[in-house]
Amino acid sequence: MVEAQAALDLEPSLELVREGRLAGVASRVSLAEFDESALAERLGDAVWVEEKIRLHEQVLERVLAATTVLPCRFCTVYRAEADLRRFLSERQEALAAALTEVAGRVELGVKAFVDPERFEAGGAQENEQIRELTTQAAAAEGGRAYLESRRLERLVSDERARFGQEAASQLHRRLLGPAERGVLLDLQRPELSGRDEEMVLNSAYLVSDRPGFERELAALARELSERGIELELTGPWPPYNFVSEELRA
Amino acid sequence: MSSRDLESYRSGQPAQLADVLERVLDKGIVIAGDIQINLLDIELLTVKIRLLIASADKAKEMGIDWWQSDPFLSGGNGQGKLDKRLRALEEKVGLPTSDEEES
Repeated sequence: MVEAQAALDLEPSLELVREGRLAGVASRVSLAEFDESALAERLGDAVWVEEKIRLHEQVLERVLAATTVLPCRFCTVYRAEADLRRFLSERQEALAAALTEVAGRVELGVKAFVDPERFEAGGAQENEQIRELTTQAAAAEGGRAYLESRRLERLVSDERARFGQEAASQLHRRLLGPAERGVLLDLQRPELSGRDEEMVLNSAYLVSDRPGFERELAALARELSERGIELELTGPWPPYNFVSEELRA
Repeated sequence: MSSRDLESYRSGQPAQLADVLERVLDKGIVIAGDIQINLLDIELLTVKIRLLIASADKAKEMGIDWWQSDPFLSGGNGQGKLDKRLRALEEKVGLPTSDEEES
């Protein structure tokens, strides 16, 4: 808690509200901005939402760097400090248990993408039918060459989809080894992920042995890289995906 | 982290908005605050973002523009708010409101 306090000194608007063994990280906000009716309207304001969401995340990361933290849903507002204190003391046992579950652990995110060109040169060539068709298409001429190349294109694309799924399940299985827990998240479209390549895995892991986890990830990256897989590691995140079920509504 | 690891996978970039959104909006403990975003509002926001993403044409339009510029997602605030203010002003000075003119 002393560590958390030190982290918060960096951000003057934040307060540490201590209640028994627990503390809540809070900041005072104006009702004009955060009252129910105001909130409903603010949620339509993308600039406001992005700013507040980033801030919410930054505060959690700062606390995470110093101690164990349970992330609350974005925009959880109490009208008075006493209400927050009451919550902390009433749910003390459940909160302490949830904290114990994630103590000394962080959430790491892993995303896997398939690079189409590298897949075609690498992973696709493991498929005999594709190898044969590649030779045929190269030898063919005129209209037949066009048809063969279209057939090859379709075959490569089907094979890429199959390979993507297979690689994703292999990655997830292997990464669960050095992790305590893991969950699969929704795949992101290129517009959202910011990358042109197709995303085949989006997952999160609760990890205590970070070097071990990163070694396994690096090994997987080397094994799968030639076949077209690219990996991305995100975090450490506060354990958003691993908070105790009983604390969820 | 060794340099070998750095070569084999990407990491350490600033968090993508998408990764923050999927965590901050969808996850985390839901406790009974005195004031809380209605879960339906959150759902609606997430659905809107997803719908918008499904219809976005170019990755370049992402970043923040993709929802700022979209009337669906920024609905009620950008143009809608202006319209509302305009209507209020028109009423105040006793002019027929733009709504009435249209109908």
